[in-house]
Amino acid sequence: MSTEARGFVAVDGGTATTGVSLIGLVDRAWRLLGSTAAPAAIPVDALVDLLARRLAAADPDLAASVGLPATTARGAASPVESWPRIGVATAAPPRLAVVAATERTVGALSRAARGAGWDVTAASVAGADVIEMTNLLLERDVSTVLAGSADPVGGDERNALPELAALVAAAARRRPGVTVVLAGALGEHEGRVGEGARAGAAERHDGADPGVDAGAATGSVMVAPSATAGEPPGEPLRALLDGLARATRDDGRRATVRAVATLASVLDRTVELVDVGFSAGLRVVATPGEPGTDPDVRWAVTRSGALVPDAAPDEIVDGVLAWSVIALDRHRMRDRLRELRETPWADADGDGALLRLAVARAAVVRLVAATKAIEPRSAPDLVLAAGGAWAVAPGPAIALGLADVLRRAGASQLAYDHARLLGPLGSIDDPVRRRSILADLADDLLAPLGGVVVPAGLRPGRSAGRLVVHAAGGSTELDLVPGGLELVDLPPGESAVAELQFRDQVSLGTRGRRFALELGGGLGGLLIDLRDVPLRLPDRLERRRELLAAWQQSLWAGIEQ
Amino acid sequence: MTATLDVDGRSDGSPRGSTSGLELVALSRLTFGHPTLRIGLSVGDRPLVAVGETVTPGGALVDVLRDPRIEILAGDEGTPGARVHLGLGQARDGDGPADGELLFTESGRRRVVVGDHVETIEAPASGVVRSVRPGIEVTVELDGSGLPGTLGLGVPTHGRLELATDEGGELRPGSVDVGRAGTILVVGSRVDAETLTRARAMGVRGVVVAALPGKDTRDFAASERRQRAALHRLPPFAVLVLEGAIRRPIAPPVMDLLRSLDGREVGLSVEPPALVFEGEPPPPPQPDLVVVRHGPFAGRTGTFVGLAGIRRFRAGVHLEAASVRFPTGETRPVPLADLVRFG
Repeated sequence: MSTEARGFVAVDGGTATTGVSLIGLVDRAWRLLGSTAAPAAIPVDALVDLLARRLAAADPDLAASVGLPATTARGAASPVESWPRIGVATAAPPRLAVVAATERTVGALSRAARGAGWDVTAASVAGADVIEMTNLLLERDVSTVLAGSADPVGGDERNALPELAALVAAAARRRPGVTVVLAGALGEHEGRVGEGARAGAAERHDGADPGVDAGAATGSVMVAPSATAGEPPGEPLRALLDGLARATRDDGRRATVRAVATLASVLDRTVELVDVGFSAGLRVVATPGEPGTDPDVRWAVTRSGALVPDAAPDEIVDGVLAWSVIALDRHRMRDRLRELRETPWADADGDGALLRLAVARAAVVRLVAATKAIEPRSAPDLVLAAGGAWAVAPGPAIALGLADVLRRAGASQLAYDHARLLGPLGSIDDPVRRRSILADLADDLLAPLGGVVVPAGLRPGRSAGRLVVHAAGGSTELDLVPGGLELVDLPPGESAVAELQFRDQVSLGTRGRRFALELGGGLGGLLIDLRDVPLRLPDRLERRRELLAAWQQSLWAGIEQ
Repeated sequence: MTATLDVDGRSDGSPRGSTSGLELVALSRLTFGHPTLRIGLSVGDRPLVAVGETVTPGGALVDVLRDPRIEILAGDEGTPGARVHLGLGQARDGDGPADGELLFTESGRRRVVVGDHVETIEAPASGVVRSVRPGIEVTVELDGSGLPGTLGLGVPTHGRLELATDEGGELRPGSVDVGRAGTILVVGSRVDAETLTRARAMGVRGVVVAALPGKDTRDFAASERRQRAALHRLPPFAVLVLEGAIRRPIAPPVMDLLRSLDGREVGLSVEPPALVFEGEPPPPPQPDLVVVRHGPFAGRTGTFVGLAGIRRFRAGVHLEAASVRFPTGETRPVPLADLVRFG
């Protein structure tokens, strides 16, 4: 994009959703002029055109200032079509098959691969027969095979390695486009596996392998450290697999990770992102470093954190039922989830909206469970929600959804990537330019949902203490009742000082009785969450639904309509 | 700053600067040309066709092993995926398999996949074999056109199309008898597993339905597994689900197409899920015809009037909407994402 441009278009091409934003240069600063999202099948140009026309109709002067006239002749190209575009596309995580002699090694290899963003399917000689293992390696959407052993070889692996190498070599010969990684002592069999791959390439006669991305690093056999080598254990293997995954098309999530890191640096705050997407969940924790140093960034992608995973086994269905305020039996819930997977944008009002929020909560629970390795040590300063899962819920309901499932003692600000801008902005290669644009847009790209205060260690009783909130509009005083959810009106853009005085010591990041916190407002105001950490809900589904509905009702305007 | 991806999304030929907003309604293909049938293979399955070979409806494509097991043979010869004769020296009874598929060789021992029982997969329509990859897949480019569905169960099949109900109907088990043997039944809005099992037993070749609940999908799949475990030879039978899991009528443009095919020979492909028919596809319906797929107006057809902006809908949710004029004359805002048009 040239520096003379008066605007640009940012496109986030998700698996199910396309997000489009118009960014314009207003008073020498980049500002968000408009954004919209639609099902992925809708052409980007139609969305850009819609936004340009809405901007021109709503604020002709602003539109004119960025070079968009109020009217364009029918059929003529709108000036916005000449604006530069930045964008990312997000695909389902690439699939990798793990094979090893023992379940122990399979587990270690799988952890390393998942940590690098792969969708993993695994089998071991100890747990499967050679027919199952060969079928696994030959599945057409497997683009990479990770076979390995400990180094030095364990006693329980030694005898199985020659057969494992022969099996992998045969698979490499049948699917010459697949990349094979030999980890640990199995790397000694590189010659045999490489011979198989070369023979397969020579025999290849039926075109490209449909399961393999043509742009990926294909057809190679490489040797890697074992899954327990390095510091921390498994890091060298994870880094190698991360490099392989980068060669696939999943640049949207990596761009989002870069944007979150830049945001942490710009805001000088610890930022956590939970992105519930259609094909996978992404979690990022970025902690700013000392001035002049890069932030510490940890992230993980997992397919189990998707809105609705491909196959919805009973535990997924039960997980959603546990958060649902709609009374559905397991069969009907399974059908609703299947429909949601088929048409994620449809049926988004009424029950459909409530269902989505339950599905989103369940997805965050799975995402957090699958990414314990990157769990922040304390409540982050800023928690960001992203992904299509939250698209239709009102801001306050999103805030409650996050507070329900991210149970950590402390105080955090909650926000939502409403314009789906993090991915496109993270695609800006130049870190200085990325930082400058993100700094300009920081107030626009995040919808402030509110502040949340979660004390842990409250003793049951009538009152745990008092809260006084000092805001511009005056002071609010509240009794702190354990198990309750107090809501203080604090609009977006306002900040307040909350003074909490507890009868006994509680944990709020640190232990103490008196706390004074400065918090920002948001669409949901200020949430004083005095419920249990972790949240304990009634076992009976009916009672649980009533409780969840009561909490939700207070934060979801118009829910009864 | 660099653009990292070409995101020019003008993919449906919409005119530049189009203002009607119709392009914001999801476009569903009514039909597509030359479906490429894929039959996924497991190791041991035997392809019966070669690349470039022409196949006809009912022609055998693959023998699928129902009871694969490993036999170990001495020797080093053969490449992975090749057929290997078991020879006379094997300790097998006279009815055992004559050959198997070589998995790999290690230390002078060959692992060969063999089995005693096979199920033959047939072509649902005429076409040309495009790829044969033992242990992976066989693909066939079929002649004619395909009506796409969202889910296919069973195995590819062919038969005479018969409309058993109207677009919103439901077929009960008692309505299926041997008089319908050899047909592919269009059964309207939904069907249950009991009816599917009875249909297969009566010699029906397939069922086309708008929606199949997950419970019935699982029950039918379990019934198929039980039959296979008992090593019964099953006639080819497939279920094509056009929409999803929740009951709804077949969309009118799709029903019109099915009516035009009533009594004709058609095929059912499972991967991709589609009904395959010979001849040219029908012309698409009028461009501004939209079908409401969800919400209070689900199943109704209307005319797209224009964009209605962001509107408030049930549960206080704000969504992009379109104005739709229904045949009754009323014009109502409907969430854009609940609409579909056919082209």
